[in-house]
Amino acid sequence: MSDPFEPKIVAFVCTYCTYAGADLAGTSRLKYAPNVRIVRLPCTGRISPMFILKALQKGADSVLVSGCHPGDCHFTSGNYHARRRWTVFRALLSFTGIPEERIRFSWISAAEGAKFAELINEITDDTRKLGPFTQYQELQKVIETQSSY
Amino acid sequence: MGIQEQYRSEAAALLSSGEVKLVIGFGAGSTADRRRPLFARTPEEAQKFVLDAACIANLSTYLVAEGLLSDGKKVGVFLKPDGIRSVNILISEAQLKPEQVVILGYAIESGKDVAALEGRNISDFSIGEKIRKLTPPPHVIEAAEKIEAMSAEERFEYWKEEFSKCIKCYACRQVCPMCYCRRCIVDVNQPQWVSTSSHTLGNFEWNLVRAFHLAGRCASCGACDRACPVNIPLRLVNYRMGKEVRSAFDYVAGENSDQKPVLASFKQDDPETFIL
Repeated sequence: MSDPFEPKIVAFVCTYCTYAGADLAGTSRLKYAPNVRIVRLPCTGRISPMFILKALQKGADSVLVSGCHPGDCHFTSGNYHARRRWTVFRALLSFTGIPEERIRFSWISAAEGAKFAELINEITDDTRKLGPFTQYQELQKVIETQSSY
Repeated sequence: MGIQEQYRSEAAALLSSGEVKLVIGFGAGSTADRRRPLFARTPEEAQKFVLDAACIANLSTYLVAEGLLSDGKKVGVFLKPDGIRSVNILISEAQLKPEQVVILGYAIESGKDVAALEGRNISDFSIGEKIRKLTPPPHVIEAAEKIEAMSAEERFEYWKEEFSKCIKCYACRQVCPMCYCRRCIVDVNQPQWVSTSSHTLGNFEWNLVRAFHLAGRCASCGACDRACPVNIPLRLVNYRMGKEVRSAFDYVAGENSDQKPVLASFKQDDPETFIL
């Protein structure tokens, strides 16, 4: 483990706002950390909490979930529904001891390329400080070494 | 005439008049202190009903059995207040038609006396006020507070320990009146969201998904706790979820049958302090 730790970040974004925002960051030639892997979805309302758990399980160190600002949803109310779901999901994570600081939520519009770039940099720095997310990965390793499964 | 005899004859009358096609109640169990569900279709069978302080199961779970109510006929069921609460939730989620359920309500008072509840239709029971004031048993609150006082690492270790016991029998799902999905997410294998073997990581996934799917829907009947063969305190997670929807959205599941399910509705000014 002599390699310096490079965090893996998975971003679940909605295609109408945050993905377009990320696109704007790119076309504006803004530089941001290359640690993020973006998964584009139709709407934040499409993001099942399962996605987040699966990402953490498969090796992500942090997860970003981002969509349109309230009132801007392409489907009128997808982000409002998602917001309620996240509130409950965060409480669940907290109660079961999965570190909340590794899962971030944000609203980024198609015009906020700079906010996207800043946020990715911020999450990358924070995750670098937190270190790798090992709790789930250790459990995963246990499974892989037990071939009888 | 005791409540048992009273309800036996009421069930028999409902069946012989043809008002209901089936009455779901309790019969004698395998030991003196256990009761098992009894499904009576004739007035004679209704004479076998037992009703006493050992009748703690939430029978509303049988109402959502596939095909039971699809013929439009009515079904009678013995329910405690938590069962009535479940029925409220099921109606609000469009899983039941209120007019198809005839309730034989009873309450167990101070752990031993059984009292009849007035009313037969779900609209006769205004339990909203009572549910708002209802608190889970002190040991549940105490245990949940103990967990909340831990650090995140300790909490993870605690649940790791608990969930490592899980054998994925899905008894918690089978017994829960709210787990009525025809195809549960754990039975889906394309994509396979939850791994099928009972290793700790897969158990974490299953139990988190179960808790999340019950968020704001749990009637706190404690059936999952009682069903769990390895005694995982499943109720604690459900309690914590209920507390969250109450504090964040002022929502209490099953107050009445007209409420909109909490995660299927929203307010524009819902709290969002955690969103950047």
